[in-house]
Amino acid sequence: MKFFQYLLKIDRRIIYIIMGLLVTLPLVKPLGLGVTSGPRATRLFEAVDSIPAGKTLLISVDFDPASMPELYPMLTALMRHAFAKNLKVLLCGLWPTGMGLAIKAATDIPPEYGKKYGEDVVYLGYKPGVDAVILGMGENIKNVYPYDYAGRSLDSLPMMRDVQRLRDIPMIVALSAGTPGYSDWLAYAQSRYGMKIGTGLTAVSAADAYPFLQSGQLTGLLAGMKGAAEYEVLVQKNNYSKAYMPAVAAMDSQSLAHVVIMILVIIGNIAYFVTRKRRS
Amino acid sequence: MHISHSLPTWVAAILTIGIFSFLWKDNPFYKFCEHLFVGVSIGYGIAVTWYNGVYPDLVTPLFRQGKPLYIIPLVLGLCYFCRFIPKVSWLIRFPMAFVFGWSMGVAIPATFQTSIIKQIQGTLLTPAIFARWDVLLWAIISFVGVICTVFYFFFSREHKGALRLASQTGVVYLMVGFGASFGYTVMARMSLLIGRLQFILRDWLGVIH
Repeated sequence: MKFFQYLLKIDRRIIYIIMGLLVTLPLVKPLGLGVTSGPRATRLFEAVDSIPAGKTLLISVDFDPASMPELYPMLTALMRHAFAKNLKVLLCGLWPTGMGLAIKAATDIPPEYGKKYGEDVVYLGYKPGVDAVILGMGENIKNVYPYDYAGRSLDSLPMMRDVQRLRDIPMIVALSAGTPGYSDWLAYAQSRYGMKIGTGLTAVSAADAYPFLQSGQLTGLLAGMKGAAEYEVLVQKNNYSKAYMPAVAAMDSQSLAHVVIMILVIIGNIAYFVTRKRRS
Repeated sequence: MHISHSLPTWVAAILTIGIFSFLWKDNPFYKFCEHLFVGVSIGYGIAVTWYNGVYPDLVTPLFRQGKPLYIIPLVLGLCYFCRFIPKVSWLIRFPMAFVFGWSMGVAIPATFQTSIIKQIQGTLLTPAIFARWDVLLWAIISFVGVICTVFYFFFSREHKGALRLASQTGVVYLMVGFGASFGYTVMARMSLLIGRLQFILRDWLGVIH
């Protein structure tokens, strides 16, 4: 009885220290538990893989640095996949605080594949007014974004000659940390222009997206860091990239943390019910 | 171990430790980091919105290209600031009415199509579903779940008999949904912790490669 009462009153900082150590150790010395790709990530991978070479993949960077550990690995893995398949990548964003991350990706990833800004990748930047932006892009991208993020005219960028409106793009992948995000692309780009849409989400919002996956509105879904790791594995397994995979590297820590949390939830519940029974 | 020589990396690492210090207990260093984050985020957001929205889409066409019609959005936008002047605060109703009207007109058909019509289509048991037993099983589970969960939110009659059975089944579905959301939330929070630890160990301290 005393033991269970002690468990219920345990200092939360002890749990933080245990958790911190268990998360840190596998990062320094990986356990090699491995990652397998699920059907949702595979569907997205296959959809991107089936886009003909030379066509454009639109990636909407709708997240900020707070969601970077979950969504940035998705962005880099998607870009690597696209460049390895000789696709062009058009980046845009509905979140103002996502600009720095999109610029970093547009700067770091293309040189790995010998791709050039303006010819193989363009970042349009952020534009306020979610519904107006998406609907405007459906009519004419240059009306909404006459210039890219750095103020270069879209007419001066060779890649944009073949991309006038959303229908010139075979697929959109919205990497979303909340609203605005994939739901807006579904509501405006899909319902109005019939666009094929896949998404990568923070784990918090992933459960809300499953109905759209089940109904076939979403082509694929990457849920949280695990989803990013699944996509990274698919990209590497198909020899599209040999780069460092941050999400895969984090999976041992993630698995260990989940085991600890499950044990704590079970112990906490047992302790609660035992002490409640005694009290009553 | 290769400690970073980059000043921004050091600043980011020290601020990360400052935020994590809250786990031990509330302290002035944490408060400083928190306020800094809020201030920088808002400042960054304002600057980005100005240079990506207001300046190219309003200031340039109106004042540089001489397009007089852009005076309308400028006046409507300025009306928002009337909120701070009690005598003319009623002027805010004009831009609000415009925004509500536009948003309703655009959002209602799109949301209806995406979240209601397509979702009902996704729940229907069509002949194609009967081709494979596993697809059929999941379709029936979804169908029963939708019907029973909707019954749980049916408040016009007391939940007795068949209605009670349906609503109780709906509660089970809701609990499974909440459990899945909570599980994903735990995963998300752990991912953020791991992300920061990766930054500290790899980018800052150079312990992992």
